[in-house]
Parts: sequence; C-alpha cells; structure tokens
Amino acid sequence: MRFLLHLLSMIAVAIVVGFGLSYYALGDGRLFGALRVGPWLAWPAIGATAPDPYTRAYLARSGVLPLGQGEGVTFTAGSDSEGRPLDRACRYRIEGTTPPAGFWTLQAVSLEGENIAPPGMQMALQSRHVQRASDGSLLLYVSRSLAPDNWLEISGNGRFKLILTLYAPSDISGSGFSVDTLPSIIRERCAA
Amino acid sequence: MRLLLWLAAGVLLGLGIHIAVILSLPALATNTLWSRVAAPLEANRVTVLPAVEAGAANPLGLDPLLSYAVCRINLNAGPGIVTGTLPDAAWSVAVFDRAGTVVYSTSNSEGIGKNLDVGIFDADQTRLLAQQKIDVAEGALVIGTTTDDVLVVVRLAPPQPAVRSRLEQALARIKCGNMPTS
Repeated sequence: MRFLLHLLSMIAVAIVVGFGLSYYALGDGRLFGALRVGPWLAWPAIGATAPDPYTRAYLARSGVLPLGQGEGVTFTAGSDSEGRPLDRACRYRIEGTTPPAGFWTLQAVSLEGENIAPPGMQMALQSRHVQRASDGSLLLYVSRSLAPDNWLEISGNGRFKLILTLYAPSDISGSGFSVDTLPSIIRERCAA
Repeated sequence: MRLLLWLAAGVLLGLGIHIAVILSLPALATNTLWSRVAAPLEANRVTVLPAVEAGAANPLGLDPLLSYAVCRINLNAGPGIVTGTLPDAAWSVAVFDRAGTVVYSTSNSEGIGKNLDVGIFDADQTRLLAQQKIDVAEGALVIGTTTDDVLVVVRLAPPQPAVRSRLEQALARIKCGNMPTS
C-alpha cells in the first residue's frame, strides 16, 4: 500500500513538473528562449534559420506566420509595466522610445488574437503616422474613450494584448539581437 | 526520507516528460503554418491573403496594416523562382520550409530596391548552380534550402490605406514557379 502511494506521488509530481514546465516555457518562456523587456515579450529566434527547440515548439503550437530575422521582430504585452493585466476598461499611456527600425506598428488584440478596434476605425498605429516629441520619444494612448495626441481606439470588455512589431530594425543582423529599451505601458484611469 | 526519494524521482521523470513534450510538439502539432497557409494553396501561383478585419479571427497573427502575398513551390520540378516589380513601399520577403522555419528573409531596407528576383535551390540544385550548370539572372538572390517544399511570403506595407488595393494588385502580379531547366 505504501509503495502504491509513493508511486502515485511520483507520477503526480512528474505530470505537474513535466506539463507545467512545458506550459510555462511556451507561455512566459523567459528562461527558455523568450526575450522579456519590461512588459514586452518576444521570441527573437522565431525567425532564425535554426531556431532552438523551445522556439520551434512555440512556433508549432502557435501556428503563426513569423517574421524572418531579416524582416523584423514582434513583441507582445499582456500586462502593463507594473505587471497588471491589460484591461479594456482602462486607459493606457505608452511612452518612451522604440529601437531604431524602418517602421513599427502597434495593434490591440483580444487574448484570442482578434483585433479589437471598433468597426471602421484604424486597426493599428504606424510609426510614420505618429507624432513624436522633439527628442524623438513616443507618447500614445490606448483606450475606449477619446484620448489626446496619438490614440489607438479599442472596443469591448475584458483583457487584451498589445502587439508591437518592429520592421527592419537596425539591430537585427546575423544571429545577434538585443533591445535596450521599449516603451512603458502605464495604466491611467479605469472606468467603473 | 523514502518519500522524498520518490518525489525526487518524480521531478526527474517530469523533466523527461518536459523534454519529450518540447521535442515532439513540432511533429505532433496539427495547426501549423504549413497546414494553414501552404497546403491549401495551388502550387506556383501567387495568392494575396485577405485583409485582417476587426473582431475576426486572425490565426496567422497577420499585421492589419500590411498586405501579404504567398506562393508554394515544389523544387522537385526545378529550382524555384520569384520575380516581380514591387511598388515604392516597404516590403520584405521570407522563404519558409515545411516545418515553418524561415530559410531566408530580407527586406528592401537592405537596398534591394523595387525589384524582387529570387532563386530557390535545393541541395542538388545548389551543387549544379556552383558548377554553373544552372543559370540565374545577375543580381538575383540565391537561396539554398534542404527541403523541396517551400513557401514564399512577400509582405508589403502600403504607405496609406487608400493605396492598399492598388498595391495588392501589384503583389498579385508577382511571378512564382519553377525555373525551366534543360
């Protein structure tokens, strides 16, 4: 009887560790090939000619059309800079700098990946159409209600993600890739 | 003490399960890039993907501000070739193998200009190319791959939404197929 209990305990631990670690590795993934910069997460090797096994597994699981390393890199954020999940009831201020790139786009999507712009409104912001401060820094807002300056309007309720895609960034070359700074995501006020 | 040993064995077994999951996932996954995009395509024909719509599923994770042209080529019938003249806008090209891995990618920020001229060669064809038994146009991008099934994706960023339709027509005029061999 004691042997059976020990065996069941071992199997339970093995299942929790094995599948739990796999789930974590393909989600957060920062210990397994993903790059986290503040709230932003990217898989920099996803567009490499020989991705590591974790990136390969992530690619197979997601089924997305990735950017090659010669094309760009995609960052995703599901939380603000303080780690709180992004909520459509709140207004977010995105400020800071982006790495040098040919251009970038920013869109808001549901957790299932559907774009959450209201029908008929612009579905994403593009860097070439965004006003910047004189020092080149960025200030934009993501919210359901009207916001000043650069505004990405969203709709609906519940959590969402932001996707920042850098096209032709200047620091993607060869096998190396690094990002020093990405903009902060700051929660302002939330609707009751 | 004995229970701890059993639990430690469970952790080790769990690590083994984890490694098995990670390594087997690419082979077991069903909704891969290839099955979603390449498999339904007619070979050697450029298809412009429908634009992303707000509120609609976007399983490929496409950027709503970009236009996409895709083409599947089987290199068994000869080296692949992709040619065309693209509009004066930011564009890039990537070649994927059956596993969804990027074989090669570049963008026109690298100074390619407006002309897209790509030759894709498997291992045998690359050898023939090195022996100058296959001719390629001067200035063409030469891409080597280890698999015979490849997917070519051209991304184009319309500078304004108003010109998107016109630029997608230019994307649709891209030629893709097998290079004639003697």
